[in-house]
Amino acid sequence: MTRPVSHTALVAAIVRKDLREFSRDRLWLILTIVGLVMFIAVFWMLPGTVDETISVGVTPPDLAETLIGLSGGEGEGAPAQDDAEGQAPQGLEVVRFDSEDELRAVVAGEADGPDVAVGLAFPDDFAGLTARGEPVTVTVYVESGVPAEVRQAMESAVREIVYFAAGAAEGVDPMDVVPVRQETVVLGEDRAGEQVSMRERMRPLLAFFVLMMESLALAGLIAVEIQRRTVTALLVTPASVTDVLAAKSVLGTTLAFSETVLMLALTRSFGAGWSVLLVAALLGAVIVTGTALISGAAGKDFMGTLFLSMVLLVPLAIPAVTVLFPGSTATWVKALPTYGVMEAFVRVTSYGESWAELWGPLALAALWCVGVFGAGLLVLRRKVRTL
Amino acid sequence: MSGPAIEVDGVSFAYGDREAVKGISFEVAPGEVLGFLGPNGAGKSTTIKILTGQLPAKSGVARVLGRDVRRDDPEIQRHIGVCFEEKNLYESMTAEENLRFFATLFGLKDVDTGELLDRVGLADRAKTRVAGFSKGMRQRLMVARALVNQPMVLFLDEPTDGLDPVSSKAIRGLIEEEARRGAAVLLTTHDMWEADELSRRVAFINEGRLYAVDTPENLKLRYGKRSVKVRARVGGEIVEDSVALDAEDTGERLKEAVAAEGLLTIHTEEATLESIFIQMTGRGLD
Repeated sequence: MTRPVSHTALVAAIVRKDLREFSRDRLWLILTIVGLVMFIAVFWMLPGTVDETISVGVTPPDLAETLIGLSGGEGEGAPAQDDAEGQAPQGLEVVRFDSEDELRAVVAGEADGPDVAVGLAFPDDFAGLTARGEPVTVTVYVESGVPAEVRQAMESAVREIVYFAAGAAEGVDPMDVVPVRQETVVLGEDRAGEQVSMRERMRPLLAFFVLMMESLALAGLIAVEIQRRTVTALLVTPASVTDVLAAKSVLGTTLAFSETVLMLALTRSFGAGWSVLLVAALLGAVIVTGTALISGAAGKDFMGTLFLSMVLLVPLAIPAVTVLFPGSTATWVKALPTYGVMEAFVRVTSYGESWAELWGPLALAALWCVGVFGAGLLVLRRKVRTL
Repeated sequence: MSGPAIEVDGVSFAYGDREAVKGISFEVAPGEVLGFLGPNGAGKSTTIKILTGQLPAKSGVARVLGRDVRRDDPEIQRHIGVCFEEKNLYESMTAEENLRFFATLFGLKDVDTGELLDRVGLADRAKTRVAGFSKGMRQRLMVARALVNQPMVLFLDEPTDGLDPVSSKAIRGLIEEEARRGAAVLLTTHDMWEADELSRRVAFINEGRLYAVDTPENLKLRYGKRSVKVRARVGGEIVEDSVALDAEDTGERLKEAVAAEGLLTIHTEEATLESIFIQMTGRGLD
């Protein structure tokens, strides 16, 4: 004789069934396990230290050529006209720029160009000013991720360059050169002394890959349930649409969250800010589960589901990718759902930040969670009701 | 339960502008099998979806076990069994796991899946994943799944579709057993012979409208031709004659036919449900 079943028991039964199905889907099982192992392996294989060679952009171009000549290297044009690099001794690489505006834009990451972390903008009439013994102002543009010691070295280098240049000018006694005045402009949030290695930069992207894998797996599971109409068989039992939606949500969020936490644990990410990381991982899991509900419900077949998943997930990957390219983050990137999550991953693990600094981005991510997850539930509910 | 197990009163439903069900009314009593007959797109599956709570009726009232199906009522779901036309089974799970999972949803922990599988001839396939099942085996498992909660109302949508004659006979036996147990059965089928064999009453539905709900015998009497066909060899040629059973000279004509030399066959010309359906709706069942 049948007896009333609680919603919790119904949801638990559907989750157990889904887990059984998931564990028997070789494709997703292999991708999940191999993916997790591979992502963690990639993390540990990446360099944990930072390359000390600093590329320095210099304008005006004629002075850059002089400096390249003085350093015994060959010049690199901007935007990259010459092939050779001006590899100066002591890890300095001089890159020539045509204008100060271009130099500033490239250092800030707002324009394409050679990878330079520091820019030195000398006056156009630098040689004349030094020859006449007049005051010289040099602007030092520093990308926010450049360490303090490198910035100080650059400021010292500017003085040396002025003396070199003056010495190179005919008839000028370097001792007569007026001391140079410098203005240092840090582009982006100042991260002096807080260098981030490639390994650290990859952490959010690898965590996102884990979230993405689980999102794809859940979307596939939902799509199969809809395409084979097994969900209609569920709905003629005491299980309601709400129970089915709850089960899918619980399964997706739990899988994505637990695997992300596992990945973070195996990459030794948990420290003082562990609670921030856990909340960020949970928010990320909820967001990708929301996208899985949408793509699983809307996809007509496997390829359709995969395509929709990628369309939804690629924009979500952008905040994780921007970490790989230090500099100012565009406002629109900060508005993306996963920005707060990725910021938390980076700023907790690399800079030791905590709730005080991260509540804002995480609150925004939480709002996005409500939006994305709510949209997912609506789309799936509508789909199930119209089968 | 004293009243009808299924009550449908003036129920309509439309997919957008297309009216799929147009104010139909019928009842099914406990222990009765109602054959729901109609071609594809007639409104059979939509009616089942309304009665099982998958679609809300646009107008009219539908009750199952005395409860309005418009309300999302788990009490109704607990006591119904549905065999869908599409084979919506969990393919990566075994036959036994499929049944056990659905039993769990009904709050049944100790369901005898072996006995159920035995009833549909799948006892030796209990541990086989559904992905390896033939179409007929899937269909039989679908029927077993519909019976997992010993339902008081059974909705069977083409339950013998794709089955070989032996399996079809076994499923028909199951349906009769369930009706004897007291379950009300709403059976949709294309197979008129099957409907005739199993159903106490049949309902003809076409383009969303119900044309008739009655016993097969009554329909045959009302719409069929009561006559006898006589075939005889006369002078090397085969001659056919039809003798109406309700005419004044029926007795004499039959005597003549039996006594005539060269008589080959005499058989009744009873109307089939299919011919009545065509007569009433103007179209066939395919």
